Amino acid sequence: MNLHKSSRHTTALVLIMGAALLLEGGCGSARRGTPVIKPIETADARVKRGEIAFYRACNSCHIGGATGLGPALNDKPLPGFLIRFQVRNGLGAMPAFSKAQLSDAELDAIVAYLQVLREKEWPEEYLSVQTD
Amino acid sequence: MTKSYRAFSILLLGAAALALSACVYMLSSSDGGGQTVFDPPREIDPADIVVPEGYRIEPVATGLTFPTDVAVDGAGRVYVIEAGYSYGEVWTEPRLLRIEPGGRTSAIATGARNGPWTGVVIHDGTFYIAEGGALQGGRILRVEGGEVTSLIENLPTMGDHHTNGPAIGPDGWIYLGLGTATNSGVVGVDNAQFGWLSRKPQFHDIPCRDITLNRRNFESDNPLTPDSGDRAITGAYSPFGTPATAGQIVTGDLPCSGAIMRIRPQGGEMELVAWGLRNPYGLAFSPSGELYVTENAFDVRGSRPVWGTADVLWKITPGAWYGWPDFSGGHPLNEERFAPPGGPMPDFLLAKHPGQPPEPAALLGVHASANGFDFSHGMGFGHRGQAFIALFGDMAPTVGKVLAPVGFKVVRVDVNNGVIHDFAVNKGKVNGPASWLGSGGLERPVAAQFDPRGDALYVVDFGVVTMTEEGPIPQQNTGVLWRISREGIW
Repeated sequence: MNLHKSSRHTTALVLIMGAALLLEGGCGSARRGTPVIKPIETADARVKRGEIAFYRACNSCHIGGATGLGPALNDKPLPGFLIRFQVRNGLGAMPAFSKAQLSDAELDAIVAYLQVLREKEWPEEYLSVQTD
Repeated sequence: MTKSYRAFSILLLGAAALALSACVYMLSSSDGGGQTVFDPPREIDPADIVVPEGYRIEPVATGLTFPTDVAVDGAGRVYVIEAGYSYGEVWTEPRLLRIEPGGRTSAIATGARNGPWTGVVIHDGTFYIAEGGALQGGRILRVEGGEVTSLIENLPTMGDHHTNGPAIGPDGWIYLGLGTATNSGVVGVDNAQFGWLSRKPQFHDIPCRDITLNRRNFESDNPLTPDSGDRAITGAYSPFGTPATAGQIVTGDLPCSGAIMRIRPQGGEMELVAWGLRNPYGLAFSPSGELYVTENAFDVRGSRPVWGTADVLWKITPGAWYGWPDFSGGHPLNEERFAPPGGPMPDFLLAKHPGQPPEPAALLGVHASANGFDFSHGMGFGHRGQAFIALFGDMAPTVGKVLAPVGFKVVRVDVNNGVIHDFAVNKGKVNGPASWLGSGGLERPVAAQFDPRGDALYVVDFGVVTMTEEGPIPQQNTGVLWRISREGIW
């Protein structure tokens, strides 16, 4: 085993876990989600289907993709297959969703919708408040 | 860095985030919007609120005590009711106020110590007010020329939830909501904490139709005796300390718990419209004349705690049963998803269900407290046919734990597909009430109501309610009436 390489992997792992912890706490991430000023407008039918499925299956715990009963979904670099894995299997407090409750097509559409949500950062001027 | 190393890193990052997401609920303490310290006076600054491009929001009246609803007459005069009661067992005088120019208020009528007044509507020049009935039972009050009379009284709403509404239907009838006595059908220690169990130890939920119970009883501490080791066994639809038996039939009665009912403005017999609703708080008719209702869903409290249930916007089908106490949002409670973390899954209380609950029109946030709402009827405001719902906001930790504030804003809902958009929400790096954010924005929106022309949306903001482990601490004189209108239209 190449010790130098192993050490590099360990360092990378620590950095990655640290970055994940920061992401989990929302540190350094802007407010994201359905923007009030201009709602998401898309011609992508799959994203539109995903939005509808999201509000039926996900929104009550992840409000607009943000933290509520459950953690935020719109500020994490989760690849689609991991989202699908968690939805199908559940994890921690999150329940599993069967194909009868959420079809594969709906789940794919939710993943597409989440990717759009993730890109929607709130404008900087709405992140600070006026009152002292 | 090689491609495979980069891919490995991304995968690991995602997996780490996933694993942490799974643990975060268990490891985190509750961080609800009321879990803050309020330092009066309340600051008011509409610049701290975001509304969509082309709209503006402004305060109309401030310094109100527990305001819960608004009505606008044909001449454009604006009226607000103050509840006279708030969770936290704070009693004041219920009042019907007219908002004068400059935001001053004039009292039109006052009520008895039987709040909370939860809703007001003007019909043919007469005010109709839903009186919650925490002490003497619910009433629908009629106010004419400052004189207050009861249209109906002795409604069974002396428990956790009250008499709500009213709304005038296209048929000219008055529709009202009756909340349940309990969280999930069983009187328990949580009801003593609400304050009513010691006042009404025999009070319990009443079904609208005959039901048959499963043999399922619940053991709890007995807060009605001084012995701290005393225990009680209580069945569903039964007084505290009274067990149920297998196959026990509980006779339905009217008026009942968890129902929508209607009555003619001139009085007479009440009729049942729908039942099986935990706390049907907001009632509104769509432009096409269909009745919709907001339902506050289960809490994680009491002898039968239920976890993770979304507040619901329902389209009401006359005669239908909407699932309480065994379903939430159309789903049976005997699913793992409704078990509190580390706790048991709720069993069915009913041996046979009266029907299959309908599909919700929309699902709102868990613990959002979806309350008063209205439909945009006209073209002047835009979004015709969409529902504008006031989300009072979570009352964590009493109702259950949340990781961040839920609610505290006004949303619009497309009732055709259940998609929800924020419409008025506080600025800040995260969502929350103004007192939590340290801003001058929205606190606890409790009602949203359009003026008769449909040009302006009034938002009633109950004011500051902070939360402790022991319960709510409402703050008098912190309520606000907001008005949202299109830019250039007043």
